[in-house]
Formats: sequence, C-alpha cells, structure tokens
Amino acid sequence: MFNMIIAGVGGQGSILASHIFADAAIRASVTNGDNDIKVRLGETFGAAMRGGSVASHVKIGSDVFSPLVPEDKSDVVLGLEPLEALRVGVKYIAPGGMAIINIRKYESVDVKTGQAEYPSISDIVSSFKKLNANVITFDATEIAIKAGTAKAMNVVMLGALAACPKNPVPRKILEEVIKDRVPPQTIEVNLKAFESGFNKVSEDLRR
Amino acid sequence: MDIVASNRINEKVLLMGNEAIARGAIEAGVEVISAYPGTPSSEIVETLAEISNDFEYYVEWSMNEKIAFEVAAGASLIGARSLVAMKNAGLNVAMDTFMTLPYTGIKGGMVVVVADDPGAHYSSNEQDTRFAAVYAEIPCLEPASQQEAKEMTKEAFEISEALELPVFLRSVTRLSHASGDVILGEIKKPLKKIGFNKHWKIPYRWNVYGPPGAVSKHRWLHRQMEKSKNIIEKSKFNTFTLPKNTDMGIIASGLGLSYAAEAIFILGLEEKLAFFKLGFANPLPEEKLREFLKGIKKLIVIEEGDPVIERQVRSFAQENFPGINIFGKEIKQILNPYGELNVDYVAKGISKAIGLQMKEDQERINIKKEIQKKVSPRSSTLCAGCPHLGTYWAVKKALQDRKGVHIVNGDIGCYEQGGYGVFSHTINPTEDNSKSYPISSPYEILDTIYVMGSGIGMAMGQSQVGYKDGKILAVAGDSTFFHATLPAIVNAVYTKADITYLVLDNSWTCMTGHQPNPTTGINITGEKTKVINISKIAEMMGITCIRIVDPYKVEESIQAIQEALDFTGPSLVVLRGECALQVQRREKHKNPQTFIDRDKCTGCKQCLRLGCPAITFDNENKIAGIDSLLCVDCGLCNQICSFGAITLKKGNNDV
Repeated sequence: MFNMIIAGVGGQGSILASHIFADAAIRASVTNGDNDIKVRLGETFGAAMRGGSVASHVKIGSDVFSPLVPEDKSDVVLGLEPLEALRVGVKYIAPGGMAIINIRKYESVDVKTGQAEYPSISDIVSSFKKLNANVITFDATEIAIKAGTAKAMNVVMLGALAACPKNPVPRKILEEVIKDRVPPQTIEVNLKAFESGFNKVSEDLRR
Repeated sequence: MDIVASNRINEKVLLMGNEAIARGAIEAGVEVISAYPGTPSSEIVETLAEISNDFEYYVEWSMNEKIAFEVAAGASLIGARSLVAMKNAGLNVAMDTFMTLPYTGIKGGMVVVVADDPGAHYSSNEQDTRFAAVYAEIPCLEPASQQEAKEMTKEAFEISEALELPVFLRSVTRLSHASGDVILGEIKKPLKKIGFNKHWKIPYRWNVYGPPGAVSKHRWLHRQMEKSKNIIEKSKFNTFTLPKNTDMGIIASGLGLSYAAEAIFILGLEEKLAFFKLGFANPLPEEKLREFLKGIKKLIVIEEGDPVIERQVRSFAQENFPGINIFGKEIKQILNPYGELNVDYVAKGISKAIGLQMKEDQERINIKKEIQKKVSPRSSTLCAGCPHLGTYWAVKKALQDRKGVHIVNGDIGCYEQGGYGVFSHTINPTEDNSKSYPISSPYEILDTIYVMGSGIGMAMGQSQVGYKDGKILAVAGDSTFFHATLPAIVNAVYTKADITYLVLDNSWTCMTGHQPNPTTGINITGEKTKVINISKIAEMMGITCIRIVDPYKVEESIQAIQEALDFTGPSLVVLRGECALQVQRREKHKNPQTFIDRDKCTGCKQCLRLGCPAITFDNENKIAGIDSLLCVDCGLCNQICSFGAITLKKGNNDV
C-alpha cells in the first residue's frame, strides 16, 4: 500500500495535482496488469472557496477500501504550503516517511491580523525530523514562475514527487496524465514545470 | 467529466463518487434529471449537465429541492426514468412531496440521491437522511465505494420500477467527494415510453385523495415494501463472510463498511470476525441476517451517521436472538453518534468492543502534542475582492452610526463567512467563553445563522414581538432569494414587519461551485435565459422602500443601507456586484495596480478590518501591503483607508 497526502491552500491546485496522481496510479496499474490494485482519493476542504486548508488523501493498494489515510501512515506528505504541510504532517506522516515542502508561505487571516503566529520554516523542518520523517524543502513557486507561471507550482511539486524514491507511479505516466488533464494551452508550461521540479529534487537527493 | 460520457466499456477509470452516480444514471438510461445545488451533491447534476449534448435527457437546476423533487416525480408518473439529487438539508425542503409520493408510487424508475455530510464539512447540521427513507417507507441503498455508487444507482432504477416506488440512494461527503477506480459499463438508451394513464393498475393512481383514499394507498405502500424484501434478500449488495468458530461479528454499511474493512485488516482480525456488508439501510435482509447471527454472541454495528441500522438490527435481534450483545452508537457505545468516522477511530471502537488492547507510542504522542502547538489555525475568509467584503463593511458602518444592539440575521452561502470569528474552531462552547468572547475579527457581522432563508423569517419574529433595542436586519444571496425567501417577503409586507432585508446579489450560486441561477442570464447548459429582476419582484410584492446599490461603492452602499434602516416597515436593499472569481475567470489576467503608499501608511490596520485576504501586514515595519498574486483591483481598500495610503494606478503595468 502507498499513502500520500497533498496539503495546500484552496486555489493552489492541490486538488488537480491529486487527481493527476490518482489517475496516473490507475493507468499504471492497468499497464502493469495489476487488477487487484485499487485507488482512493479523499479530499477534505473547508467551507471557503479560496484560502482554506485543503488536504487530498491518495491511497494505492490491493487492501484499500476507505478514502482516508490512517494516522502515522502517510508515506509522503506533499506540502504545497509549509504550514499546511505541518498541519497534515503532524497527524499523518509515517515514521520514515518523506515530506516534500514548498517553502512559499501563504499567510492566514489569523496571522495577518496578529492573532496567531506563523511557525518558521526551520521549526517546520525540525518538527518533521522529530517525527522521524525526511524533509525536502525548496521554493516551488519560484521554479514555477521561471517555468512560465506561478500557477504551475502544483505540477512542480508533482515533478518533485516523481524524483522521490518512494513514488510508485512512473514519471512517464504522470506526464501523460498532465497532458490530458491541464488546459491544452498550458501543456508546455506544465511539462516544463514538472521537469524543473523533478530535476530540483533529483539534484537535492544526489547531494 | 468527458470520461463520464465515455463509450470505452470495461475501462478502469478514476471517478469522483458524484461522477460515478452520474455515470450510473446514464448506464440506466435516465431521461430527466433535476436538482438544486448543494455541497456535497452538486457534481452529480453538474456532470450530467456538462455532457448533456451527448445524450437525450433533460437536465435542470430547479429553484429549490422541493421543485426538483416534483420535476423528477412528475416525469416518473408518466413513465420516464428520473433522478433528483440534493444534499442532506435539501431533503428537508423536499420533504412534503417526498413523504406523500410513496403512497401512489411512480411508474418510470425514480432515484432520489441524497448526500449527507457527517462531520458537517459543508452543512448546518449532520442529519442522517436514512431516517427519512425509513420514515417514508421506501428502499434505501448505501454505497461503500465509487464502483458501488455507480452500480447501486443502476440497480436503484431497476428496483424502483419493480416495486413502483421511488428508491433512495444515500451518499456521504467522503463518497461523493472522494474518487476511486470505477469500471465503466454499457450506456443504455432511454426507453422513451412516455404516456399518461390516470388509473394505472390502481383507480385514481396519482391522486392520494381519490378513491380508494389515502389509507388504502398507505396499505398498498406496505404491501410493496413487503415485496421489496424478496429483492433485498437476493441482492448482491448484501453479503457476508462467516469464519469458522467465531462468535463475534460486524455489520457495516456505506463508508462505515470501508473503514471497518481496513480496521479489521490493521487489527489482523480477518479470520476472527464475521463480517456482514450491508448495502441496504432499509429494509433489512432478515433471512440473511438470521443466518449470519446464528452463532454470534457479540455484534458490532458500524455505520456513518446515526444508529439507523443499529436500531433496526437491535429490534430484529431482540425478537430472534435475544442474547446478542450489540455494540454501536447507543446503549453499548463504542462510537459517538456525532462527528464522522475514520479508520483509526473505527479500529479503536472495534478494539474496545472485543477487549483488545491497542499499542500506543506515548513518546510519539507527546512529540505530536508539542508540534501541534505550532500549527496555527487558518480561518476561512471571503475571497480577495469579493463584493460581500464591500457589503459587510457598509453594514458595519451603517450600524455603527445607529445606537443599540442590532440583530443581523444571517443565511448560508459564501456570505455566511460574515458570521465567523477568526479562530472559531479553537473556541470551546463553554459559558465562560460566551461571557468573554476572546477574539475580534473582521468577520463578525451575522448574529444568527441557520439555513436557507431562515434569516428573514426570524427577523420578522423579532420585529413583531416588539424588539426596540436596535435595528433588525436579514441577509440572503441571490439564489436564496428565489429558493427560500419569496413567501417570506409577502409575509413581511402583509404583516408590516419592521425589518431590512439585504439581498447580496453576486449573480451566481457561488458557494456550491458557481452554478447559474435566474440572476445570471444563462441556464444549466449555458443557454441564454431571461434575467429575473430581484428588485422588481420585491416591488410587485409590495415593498415600497427598495434601494439598489453597487457594493464596491462604499459610501453609496452605507447610505442605501441607512435609508432602508430608517424606513419604518419592510425595506429591501439589493447589493449587486458580480462574484470576483467569475469576473477573474472571464477577463484577461492583469497585474494588480493597487499599491500602498509607504509614506502615507500609518500602520493603523484599518484596511485589515475589511477582511480581504489580499491585504497583508508587515509587523516589523508596521506597514500594510498588497499580495499581488491575490489582489483583483476591486477598489474597496483604497476607499476605506483614512490616510489615502492605498492607491489605484490606472493604465500602467498591463500584462
């Protein structure tokens, strides 16, 4: 079984990213002839159209039935936003799991109005380490902007995931699904974003 | 969405629960589909609307769930297969017809899909509508996966026609909004056998009052439900496994079943527990249950929502197997009858029932507690540039100038954000906290919030009993105006209630995903329609004090609201500004031209009180800022800054 949670803020594209990944997982299972493999994608998002916490749970395996990842069982936390990565990670990251985090902050109204404090990135990283998880951090938004648009940050993160040894879905199939699922005029930018994310994390992991 | 219309039979694809239900309807040859949008059910009909060009069915967004239910029922009476979808609370609106239709039954298959919301993610309450299926005495199916959602939808049409009764399909948020692998089946062409027969099989078939009268039709309904037992006994959706030498068993349904299956696996109890997968919440497959319960001493019932199945099983067991210990959500309680389930929680519940000790890593729990303190909340907000930000600012200012304890009766929709305090989820509902509510927030305008249209009704009660300590207001959106407030407006005029009704008209049904409504100018399939004018309707209903204003114009909005407040009798203000997200989607993206003049900004934080997520604040330098990724240049913040520190530079920086 493989469990992952994509965490972000409404409007960042975490739902599209999770659908791309889950769709690719199904296609990979069909390609491999694994008829027993099931895929579940459970989403939790609050009442807000934009700006609320969003977490998408993706599960792949033969013994998968429910849409939610159990506590301490997420092999990967893909954090599109650092605070959201921590919010999900503290509950779900598996010991030995991997957190891949975009360090670009999206401050909440609570923080902006001075009624809450945003944890520092180093605090977030050390929290994951205390939970026996590995952490990769980088500015995925910056990479997306360089690839053509800040909106492709979610796809940069999928590229980063593809470079991670825990990822069970072949890179090629992920790229195929991206081509099918993003708006046609943005395919090129998104594939570039995917590759940039992939290269960034591949380099970091080699070091 | 296209995949839902796909002809690639036997292909394994990823579908959302709601898409799977839509696909099931197409595979069943559905002919009429109706709904009022309601999270988490909206995508069922939205999906069917998006692909409607490929099919022959009729699809509509109705004005409310009762009308949607009646549209589907009417089509069904004359032989068409129909599907109506709604959220949990939507059923309350449809309830009148819902309770009476089963007395006559239907002709063409009719499936009533209701998506409940355990955990109240998007709803005012957690009501379990399976009770309504029991109440109305109709069969109720409960899918546990996306594949089952599709199969059960198809099956529901068949059962509906076999029994001549509407059939209830109960979904929940975690099914409707979750996705899973689904194998596509064959698409059936609609039968198109439409015809009216006033005395079809029974005299005055479609008239509950007609001879032989309502009681005899009720008796007919009971006979049909007796017949349904044969179908339910044979259904492939009710199955069980019975390992040898066990006296412990689980009965689980719906999402509860999916959690139970994983929990049993995690606890390593596959060989030790008998497991009944129940696909019907009404009626129970009694013969199968009898076989299952024969050797069982300890029984655990796991279901999402209230103890609907548990109560039925308990009453069945009491008659037939009186010695069984039944664990569930009441009496021998292992799970709470509120909130939603998950795998960990169900595993704990099962362990408790069978006396199994679960290992806990205390050190990790302590580490988590420490980390949790750093996870600051993210309260929900209105969107950057939302017209309701302007409306609420104007309401605050208009009321500030008038002394008293004013009551603003709210409603549900995006504008319900106007009733949230920041940190709202971290406040415990204690009496101490009620005395010293600890937080101040830009979003504290609405004083009461219940359901669609409830604000104006409650405002009238407050007015009629003689509340004079302050002004009485009610708010509702454009879609709610048509859904639930029209009779209330007549009521206000007729009874001379002294209230001010603010219609927050942003031209779309936004909270549920931007569906069109009579203020939009298009219908569900994008076809142009007449725009129905809110203020003219109010005028015709007899409201004499009506103001129409653009909520992006702050001073004008304050003045319009004040004029309405000063009027004695019912007054109405239409605050009309299109949803900022819809405007953004339509128009070419531009870099925002709203800037903070650093020399003029005094750091007073007045602009933060607007509650716009695009306004930032640099605490070190005590200066406001604009988030260029979010700002849409709506022009609200520059109108409210007392120091002229926020400027809109027109005409440069176009991208």
